[in-house]
Amino acid sequence: MIDEFANRKVVHGGGPDEVVMGPPILVPAPGHVSVPPSGGTSPDVAHRTYTPNAATLRNELVLIERILAGERELFMELVRPYQKLVYSMAVTVVKNEHEAEDVSQEALFKAFKNLSQFRGECKFSTWIIQITLNEARHRVRKQQRAREDSIDCGLESEEGDYIPIDLADWREIPSEALQRKELRTALERAISDLKPIYRDVLVLRDIEHLNVAETAETLNISEASVKTRLLRARLQVRDALAPGFDGYWNTGSTTYKRVRAF
Amino acid sequence: MPDDKMIVEISCFEVWRRLSDYVDGEIEPDLKARLTYHFARCRDCKALLDGTRNVVALIGDEHAFELPAGTSQRITSALERRIAEDREAGG
Repeated sequence: MIDEFANRKVVHGGGPDEVVMGPPILVPAPGHVSVPPSGGTSPDVAHRTYTPNAATLRNELVLIERILAGERELFMELVRPYQKLVYSMAVTVVKNEHEAEDVSQEALFKAFKNLSQFRGECKFSTWIIQITLNEARHRVRKQQRAREDSIDCGLESEEGDYIPIDLADWREIPSEALQRKELRTALERAISDLKPIYRDVLVLRDIEHLNVAETAETLNISEASVKTRLLRARLQVRDALAPGFDGYWNTGSTTYKRVRAF
Repeated sequence: MPDDKMIVEISCFEVWRRLSDYVDGEIEPDLKARLTYHFARCRDCKALLDGTRNVVALIGDEHAFELPAGTSQRITSALERRIAEDREAGG
């Protein structure tokens, strides 16, 4: 039996609590925040997954104080590292790049207008994510999109047993297929098509690399729910990328047959 | 070589239930041992494990959900404009 990703490197180990250092941040002397001239910030900053370390978090609180004291332009420096996070969340909810840009900009502006309400009790990233999620969901409701068809390969209830698709029909995906952009597109679609409760956990855990506790806090759910939903989300994405019953790697179909009773 | 009598066999359903935790290393040691033992003997579950690990690797890749070209600049410009307008309006 050959797995569909036989040509890909298999990832081993590496727990979710591995700390990823973000881009270097100038640690300010007391009362002073060093701000690069506009345009001087590395263009990569906005594109990297951003995990602040302790020094960065202190720096953010200082920035926020200064913004609230009147230095409004510093807000751009505060949020620039979170652009990718905000956009990623938005695009998985509204499923449209143009809409996602609007949502991102709106969410960040709301963060600006409500900055005085941020008390530092949770992480700034948590707060930003919650604002973004609310804004994105509001946009979706407002436009009255058709109810999403979700991929669900098993029982409806969260606690129900998962039955994977197609264990008996694996074929190896040609290595050329793995290189193609279609794989990325299929991946993005598979994630966007998940039910929201699974999608949101997957985005935070596996795209933004928040740990279990952070994810639970951000989404206001239990850690047990985070783990259960993550399991289903990962398995459903894997099922979506798996060869179909006929053995082809099929990215075009959005209809996935229900599994046979095992 | 594990002593077969010491390893309690585990069903594939049980394995699937804890698969995500296993991938993340968030699993009790004795259960981890049972799953590892199972994967060595069950091709279907091993395929599922490999597939899940590779999905996690793909998703976690920096280039999944990249900001499209120009997005960052557009968001920044629009935001700066709104903040400036807000100031004009006495906000």
